[in-house]
Amino acid sequence: MSAGSIPNSPVGSRVPMVDSFEKVTGAGKYADDLVLPGTLVGKILHSPHAHARIRRLDASRAGQLPGVFAVVTGKETPVKYGILPIGHDERIFADDKVRYIGDNVAGVAAESAEIAEEALRRIRVEYEILPAHLDLEKSMRAESNLIHDGRPHNIEKEYHHHFGDVEAGFKAADLVRFDRFDCAEVTHAALEPHSTLASFDDDGKLTVWSSTQVPYYLMKTLAATLEMPEENVRVIKPLVGGGFGGKSEVIPLELAAAVLARKAGRPVKITYTREEVFYAHRGRPRTIVELKTGVRRDGRLTAVEGRVIQDGGAFCGYGPVTMLYSGQLLNALYDIPNVKYDGYRVLTNKPACGAMRGHGTVNVRYAFETHLDMIAAGLGIDPAEIRRRNLLKPPCVTINGLRILSYGYPECLERVAEASNWSEKRGKLPFGKGIGIAGSHYVSGAANPIIRSDQPHSTVNLELDGEGTATILTGASEIGQGSDTVQAQIVAHELGIALDRVKIVAADTARTPIDLGSYSSRVTFMAGNAALAAAREAKRQILNAAATYFDVPAERLVLEDGRIFEAGNRAKALPLAQAVLLAAKPETVLRATGSYSTPAEARGGKYKGAGVGPSPAYSYSAQVAEVSVDVETGQVTVERIYAAHDCGKAINPLTVEGQVEGSVWMGLGQALEEEMVWKNGRLMNAGLLEYRSASTLDSPEIRPILVESADPEGPLGAKEAGEGSLAAVIPAVANAIYDAVGVWMTTLPITPERILKALEEKQRRTGS
Amino acid sequence: MISESFEYHVPKTIEEALGMIGEFGDESKVLAGGHSLLPMMKLRLASPKHLIDIGRIGALRYIRESEGQLELGALTTHFEIESSSLLKSKCPLLPETAREIGDVQVCNRGTLGGSLVHADPAADWPAAMLAVEAEMVARGPHGERKIRARDFFVDLMATALQSDELLTAIRVSPLPARTGDAYLKLHHPASGFAVVGVAVRLTLAESGSIGEARVGVTGVGAKPYRAEETERLLAGKSPTAKRLEEAAAHAADGVDANSDLYASGDYRKHLAAVYARRAIQRAAERAAGR
Ligand SMILES: Cc1cc2nc3c(=O)[nH]c(=O)nc-3n(C[C@H](O)[C@H](O)[C@H](O)COP(=O)(O)OP(=O)(O)OC[C@H]3O[C@@H](n4cnc5c(N)ncnc54)[C@H](O)[C@@H]3O)c2cc1C
Repeated sequence: MSAGSIPNSPVGSRVPMVDSFEKVTGAGKYADDLVLPGTLVGKILHSPHAHARIRRLDASRAGQLPGVFAVVTGKETPVKYGILPIGHDERIFADDKVRYIGDNVAGVAAESAEIAEEALRRIRVEYEILPAHLDLEKSMRAESNLIHDGRPHNIEKEYHHHFGDVEAGFKAADLVRFDRFDCAEVTHAALEPHSTLASFDDDGKLTVWSSTQVPYYLMKTLAATLEMPEENVRVIKPLVGGGFGGKSEVIPLELAAAVLARKAGRPVKITYTREEVFYAHRGRPRTIVELKTGVRRDGRLTAVEGRVIQDGGAFCGYGPVTMLYSGQLLNALYDIPNVKYDGYRVLTNKPACGAMRGHGTVNVRYAFETHLDMIAAGLGIDPAEIRRRNLLKPPCVTINGLRILSYGYPECLERVAEASNWSEKRGKLPFGKGIGIAGSHYVSGAANPIIRSDQPHSTVNLELDGEGTATILTGASEIGQGSDTVQAQIVAHELGIALDRVKIVAADTARTPIDLGSYSSRVTFMAGNAALAAAREAKRQILNAAATYFDVPAERLVLEDGRIFEAGNRAKALPLAQAVLLAAKPETVLRATGSYSTPAEARGGKYKGAGVGPSPAYSYSAQVAEVSVDVETGQVTVERIYAAHDCGKAINPLTVEGQVEGSVWMGLGQALEEEMVWKNGRLMNAGLLEYRSASTLDSPEIRPILVESADPEGPLGAKEAGEGSLAAVIPAVANAIYDAVGVWMTTLPITPERILKALEEKQRRTGS
Repeated sequence: MISESFEYHVPKTIEEALGMIGEFGDESKVLAGGHSLLPMMKLRLASPKHLIDIGRIGALRYIRESEGQLELGALTTHFEIESSSLLKSKCPLLPETAREIGDVQVCNRGTLGGSLVHADPAADWPAAMLAVEAEMVARGPHGERKIRARDFFVDLMATALQSDELLTAIRVSPLPARTGDAYLKLHHPASGFAVVGVAVRLTLAESGSIGEARVGVTGVGAKPYRAEETERLLAGKSPTAKRLEEAAAHAADGVDANSDLYASGDYRKHLAAVYARRAIQRAAERAAGR
């Protein structure tokens, strides 16, 4: 059923987010706003060394300080953890070794921040300094003083995939091109710093309020590391002030607050300073991408070989997943018959990298889309045209096993070309002004869960009362992206009630059903489908009860505007509230459950690593960037971005546009200025003044264009909207710079100095 | 971070303030708009035991014309300068410079005097002060003295003002005939301070050639400076594009340039030449229009 057929439905309309009032008025509570009676301040002692053995640790003088209630060191936290079952290499506090500047050595809980800091100063640690592995390419050749046992050459993981026959593909090509790209390490820079409040009750049950995207995984990790039964651990997610992936795995403070609270016998809250947020990191790794591509004279791609090396930092984290997304999504936007991928995740003595908006795809997409423009330039084919000539023909399964049903990419390309007046501008603007195009895509939820299990990815419970109010109980995590709003809209739509008749209780592991969390852009698709299923089940029960009341078959009844009537006879209507009571009898609350599991066909192939990349549906983006380049200073000004995004169905165009604009911004930051700069393992820009993220004031004009390809399995046709747009903006800008001044920018960020250098080199080469 | 604790004093008059400075000596700091000092205290780069808030001394806050000179009290805020119609007509370089500073909060609180005494190497005012050959008026226990702008800036965050002195006023001469000025700046993308800022005051002779050009440069080195070689190459020349470019190329001669995460020393020097040429060009065009 198409959403448009229901009058007054909130689906498809630009409704403000359901939690916007409390956010705008400041009434909403984030983790750091929460205080329980007797709450102590927790602080963590961080390693000053990038790589060192802990010889001796004496915390006795810290414990003696009046006002200190707990001191915990690595000896008391033996259980290893990590977000991936194959990567349990972290401890709450280090036991024998520290592996990066900022590594967690000990924790204290005290009456005040000042006392806690004084207590940290009283902890004596004797370190034996080890040689640190700081350079990515050197680290992967290291023989001794390795970062972890069982990781020869500091290689966390490597993947080697070969589909089809690339050698044959290169033979069939008229042109084979090789390029190397280098992308700097970047971080999320969410405005809300990580914060966790942990409290034990008298029965030894733990409740944790945390700024997390993954309450369910946090609950499991707390139980494992504190060696408690899972039923005694409750995780509640208050409002979250942005995550972007930085809160999508368990962050050390979340566990530290809990162990400290247990030892202190009082609630403990830890809120990271901005500097600690930078060192906790888990952002996008520095990535070297080497691409070799074969192409026929007509622009048809015959083979792609990619070699990707990522600087993962000191722990596994999401590393193997990042590595796999980089390979799996390399060839899934276009039809490429032969593909080879070699990926290396390398350990270094720096904070661990992890998931960040566009997880795994962004750097490779930047490289590929720029490389594709270089190829097009070599062949004399228009960049928009070469993309058109390599489209997939869905429904299809890509050579590496990704099933694709809906594919709005061609429409995205057409819409941005048209809106930007592409054919009138490309190659025709005055020197210094340029226009560039690029595409991207992303998963609408990982088809396979992080921890293997047969249970649904999302479950939503719905309760309707005798006043016709619906309450959604969902484990899905609102982190500002609109998770709650989308579920409320879907339920209101399906039940024919106003949005303000829908209440939502979310992300509380003791009260809400299991949901895997806010990562891999899975919420609208998976929790949305679960909400839709729950609402349909409730509606079925209601209409059945009403059918008895009217004595007509249920199929003849219509539920609309809070009333039920026989089609064509609005005059005789049964109010929804009354029907709910009839349906609920003998109870007074009607309950329905819906859940979502990925279909088997969407879960991918059988080879090693096949589990990452498959998704029930993919979003698509095409973007056009217009830039001007000051050739004297190297300053690039992005004048305008046209961003078409195929989200399947815009359940809320307002929030989809917000996500597209946010992605564009974030991508522009990475394209032009963001870079974590390290010196001897120390971050040189661990603050928002030094680490430059684009602000609203820096935003160019962004014209979002929504493309609705109506995915057959998406809730009302919807797919993801929060991540896919990010990757396209970077190559669109790089390609526009080429159009403006004739240089290819293969290193991120594209700084003014790099532009000047490229211009000088061009001048030296061509004498012009 | 939170600053160390301190004692807070509010003098009502210049004399009272000077008395306090004398009494507390090196343990004290004068507080004006606080937009440089308070961040330093929070980072514990400054930890005065006594804070002397001169912000309520009305006698330090004015813009007036006297004896053919323009005079600004040290407490005059960036916004007051930006919006002064007197300055817009008589010394437009100052409002033009003020417009480039910080954000609304900074402009409403930050003061000209505070900025000059703080002497941040990336601050905007020093370039303009050098270009208009401003005179700083200082009051200390031994009375009043005047310091020329080119003698005022001594080094990185160091000025000729003595620790027992208060900067009370800044004097500048109004724009003479056939003279134009201009301030051009590359904003640091995060802090907004000047990566490079160039202020120019340029007078054309009757013949149309350049009579005198004064070029103040900030952001490039440890302290702001006059680009003397550039000025020398401009004097007496007709302002053709080629001449301006040749002269501007020397805007950072001999300077030991700052280098940070945003811009290397070489890039700064390159920018100094580009911005100098553009600012000189603009000033020359304006001079021709007067
Ligand atoms: C976010 C932000 C952005 C900014 N951006 C810019 C920018 O783009 N360009 C720029 O130029 N500046 C910028 N600034 C700095 C701003 O202009 C400051 O306000 C100014 O530099 C200092 O003025 P103040 O009145 O705040 O001085 P204060 O901070 O109060 O004092 C600064 C120093 O001067 C001394 N002092 C102050 N007044 C006197 C006096 N009359 N006599 C003797 N000593 C005195 C103080 O003791 C202190 O050492 C920015 C500041 C912030 C916070």
